[in-house]
Amino acid sequence: MSALAGGPSTPRSRTSFAPATPAGVANVPRSVHSGTVQASPHYQTSRRHSLYGTEDRIVIDPGSRIWKVGFSGEGRPRDVFAVHPLWCLQRSPDPIQRDEDDRVLAARVQAHLRAAFHDSLLTEPKSRKVIIIEHPLLPVYVKDIFAKTLFENLQVPSISFASSHLLALLSVGRITGLVLDCGELESTALPIFSSRPLFHQLRTTPLAGARLTSHLRALLLLFGTFVPPPTSLSAAVNMPTSSCSTRVPLEVLSDAVLEEIKTRCSFVGESLDGALGPGIVSPSDEDPMDLDLPPSDTAPSESEFSRVSADRDSNAGPTSSDFSVVSQAQILPGRSSRDEHQLQALANLYMRHSTATNLHLKVTPPASQQAGTGQGTLIIPGWIRERGSELLFEGGDVDEGSIAETILDCLLKIPVDLRKTLASSILVTGGTAMLPGFIPRLHVELIRAIVTSPSSSPRPPIAPGRPRPPPYDRYAVLRPLVPHFAILNNPSPPPPSNARGSANAGKAPAFTPATMAWVGGSLAGALKTGGAEVPREKWDEAGGLPDSGDDAMEEDDVAGRSPANVIPDWTRTPLPVGAPPANPPPPQMREATLLAVVGA
Amino acid sequence: MTPTVLYHCPCLSSDPIPPPPNAPSSSYQFHPLHELFFCEECDAVRCNRCVSVEVSGYYCPNCLFEVPSASVRAEKNRCARNCFMCPCCRNTLSVVPSDPSDADDGRLLTGGLGVVGEPPFFLYCNYCRWDSAEVDVTFEKPTGLAAQLQRFEDSAPDSLEFERLKEHFEPFLRASSSSGHPQATHSHPAHINPITAAASSALARDIPGVVKYTPAPRGRRDKGPRDELSEYRSRVEVAGTKDTSNVDFVRRLEEVSQVAALSQRWTSSWTTPLRSSDLRPSRIPLRSKKTKRCSTCRHILIKPEQKAQSVRFKIKLVAANYLPAMSIAFPSPDLARQRAAGSRQTAAEDTSGASGLQAGGTYPFQLALTNPLYDPIKVRLKAEPQVPPPSFTAPAGGSPEKAKRPPFVVRLPRPESEIPVAAFAEAWEYEDDEDMFGGDDDELGLERERGGGGGKGKGIGVIERRANVTVVGGEVVIGRDAKGSIKFNMLVSYTYRSDDPLADEEFTFYTVVDLGVIIPRVGVESITSD
Repeated sequence: MSALAGGPSTPRSRTSFAPATPAGVANVPRSVHSGTVQASPHYQTSRRHSLYGTEDRIVIDPGSRIWKVGFSGEGRPRDVFAVHPLWCLQRSPDPIQRDEDDRVLAARVQAHLRAAFHDSLLTEPKSRKVIIIEHPLLPVYVKDIFAKTLFENLQVPSISFASSHLLALLSVGRITGLVLDCGELESTALPIFSSRPLFHQLRTTPLAGARLTSHLRALLLLFGTFVPPPTSLSAAVNMPTSSCSTRVPLEVLSDAVLEEIKTRCSFVGESLDGALGPGIVSPSDEDPMDLDLPPSDTAPSESEFSRVSADRDSNAGPTSSDFSVVSQAQILPGRSSRDEHQLQALANLYMRHSTATNLHLKVTPPASQQAGTGQGTLIIPGWIRERGSELLFEGGDVDEGSIAETILDCLLKIPVDLRKTLASSILVTGGTAMLPGFIPRLHVELIRAIVTSPSSSPRPPIAPGRPRPPPYDRYAVLRPLVPHFAILNNPSPPPPSNARGSANAGKAPAFTPATMAWVGGSLAGALKTGGAEVPREKWDEAGGLPDSGDDAMEEDDVAGRSPANVIPDWTRTPLPVGAPPANPPPPQMREATLLAVVGA
Repeated sequence: MTPTVLYHCPCLSSDPIPPPPNAPSSSYQFHPLHELFFCEECDAVRCNRCVSVEVSGYYCPNCLFEVPSASVRAEKNRCARNCFMCPCCRNTLSVVPSDPSDADDGRLLTGGLGVVGEPPFFLYCNYCRWDSAEVDVTFEKPTGLAAQLQRFEDSAPDSLEFERLKEHFEPFLRASSSSGHPQATHSHPAHINPITAAASSALARDIPGVVKYTPAPRGRRDKGPRDELSEYRSRVEVAGTKDTSNVDFVRRLEEVSQVAALSQRWTSSWTTPLRSSDLRPSRIPLRSKKTKRCSTCRHILIKPEQKAQSVRFKIKLVAANYLPAMSIAFPSPDLARQRAAGSRQTAAEDTSGASGLQAGGTYPFQLALTNPLYDPIKVRLKAEPQVPPPSFTAPAGGSPEKAKRPPFVVRLPRPESEIPVAAFAEAWEYEDDEDMFGGDDDELGLERERGGGGGKGKGIGVIERRANVTVVGGEVVIGRDAKGSIKFNMLVSYTYRSDDPLADEEFTFYTVVDLGVIIPRVGVESITSD
């Protein structure tokens, strides 16, 4: 709050938050949104004298790639910085290696947190409460590392963990909605109703920023052109560039270059609906996969959770190979000649339909060609800029559904009476959603996935349009919702239909998708709410963490009792949010949940 | 790469013994000596990772103006004077008056006087020629520009929208907190009965849904704890923000530089155009002068002088004043060449010993210990063995137990042997030692030659003492099939005279020595010819 520093503040907020009046303190709102058994923040009336009011909290949105830090009550983060990828979807199975990885992670998190406080925010951590914006699938061990560093190294007075999806929803003035976060490692859809995240309805897909990066890299390796720097300055004048252009060497496509291509050159073109049937996009070898499709709307939650964890396991492999991500994760490098042929067909198709200009990007030539003068040129075909992101919308894979499918799967799991409400308040956040054209395209894809249920298109040749009773028509039950679909932050919403909910589209304030979670965190801090707050005393009482291997212990512990459980996490709540089941959840389900979270 | 010696600070792990030097976590625990502090109370090394940092003053790095802490917050940690950063190249912008409309001589005059000029002033980048008139940022006066820009910032759409959001949520929060006790119980997760929690959650969850379908006039008290949040009406809706034009813009892009880089727009939380031509100047972020304390005993380790211009410290307990400084070097190349003249064809290419650590070779190195204390110290060195096979003295390769061998073996003076290092003294006290240096070089060279001959112990040991520096010779024997870099942990302990005249005190610390990367063998004759 800016009451102390005399910034712009409404008189009302001044009175209601003046810590001198006990009434004002009593009025401090309790948790809006924290899970039912999570603590609501409790504010002490004592205020230390410091530069900022003690009620100004530090809001940190630590991603695996990009961190946003700032003070609560402000409309934008003070600083944003990129970090070398901190964690990924896998952990080493070898315990020694894992311990070593954890030590490295702890050291790097510590360095970044210290830099955030001392260099970006120029503030003393000792008097600053901290809100950490957490992704619902942020591994618990990472949270523990954050808590350990903040409490023991920086000695902050308290930490709140707040769900990124919920905060994003706050930033558009809502507490109910279906939030899709398309970040670096994963795209995660999480329904939130009346400020309660329905964590158990969460759906996720690894089609997100990192996958897009490796897809772009693969496309550029195949279809990009590299013009090495001319060997001499006179050669630059005399030689036509076409004569010396080569395929793109792998070294040229550094992470920085790809990031540049992704963030500055890429966009999402309109759907090639008519020209591009789903049969062309998806390779033919996915027929057997469809048989595995579970009837997800009726499946009990146990199997769903084990599926989540299975998803995460199965995508551990393919990410390592560049070629495997070109079109479908199933393709092995050994079969690449056939795939290349297929890719060529795909490329031709995209090329025909793309009007995007080819771009020339100056890049550092690989070490072997350093002899030349100046920088090499990478020629990025326009269709790659436009269609590289098609990857995110290519569905049909059981393990890695498209982003639209992830949202729809999530909707299928939501109780029927909430579906309409949530379908008409979809919010898209995350850095990858910053691609121009992403959100309008997602809307189109959502509708398309329902109307032409993609999984019904293969084997039994059914007339396009509305197949009668196809065996695998997953989204049939959602079909009546089609007129209600609305993405809140759709910058170019379709003309509203007469359905009530669809009027929501585009009504959100124009915060960027990438910063929504941070803005929500700042808002939560200013409103004195936020996730469950862990004061330092509690941490100290618990004696910190048992150094490692605490995951195994948590499973048998009742949440909130053991010292390792100081840090709240939804996977540690004793019961799933919702109606109380007759029996406590079976232990294997807790394990599956935990595995899903840890990503082990 | 020159060989380095880094010093250990054990703050990251509970184990005082550092990890093996090849472990990835090792690099986070070792620091250059000049970055370390020394806490006299705890008698321990402290590093930048474990000290607690306090801000002792804010200043602008450009105008060196000390910013009073009261205004730091309002100015959002940025300079509130005339310091601006170019949005394209981050260079400092200068304030430039407009060209006078009529006379040329007028321009000359104003150019000389600097600040006097025609009223519309603008910011200009001397490096990339960006100027703020391009983005319609001009000023009436050449001073107090930040205040003039502040008006734009205060009315920025994100902060206005943010205030509106706050107003939107406040009544709702107040309503939901003032009514009903269920929330009060929620604040104590540890004591709550899970059944109650679940039940109340189930109840609470239904209520807003019910409310939703029976919209009633606002009577918050009647509606139960979780009143429905009224519809939020955005100040600026995202639908009005021309995303399609962005798509078209990127589609027709000719030059990558037309699009602003991610780092230029990612702090903006508001949907902004992608064009780099729309970027606005930003005020220069302030820096802080930091006081650092030992995190265990709270004593100040370093405290800068208040003034921004001053680079001195009021308190400065740096480790370089307590621990012996160590630097490592290979003997100068001409010596090396002399030594290996017969056997090495490629010697001419080797500019230094460090660039030529061939597998299978034996390389002497020199470790210089510099004593910062006013008392003489005695140092003992112990290289942590990779795997200690005592038989690995003869460099003749091809033995069957190749696999078991460590990639290299480091030979230093025996751990028990104490290496004396003379006390530090001011420079003028060393006059007498002048002639010592000349003689030393010869001696050194001779000793090198003998040491290179392969016999153990010849080149190892103290080879030079002058002033407060003692040079110790060591040797690294690299296995024939070794790969990777030569890095080893070294335990250094030194005794110094304490306040108690009878007993000397000892201090021990770890270092990691990085000698460089081994060049794998490519069929070269064994360098160490006997």
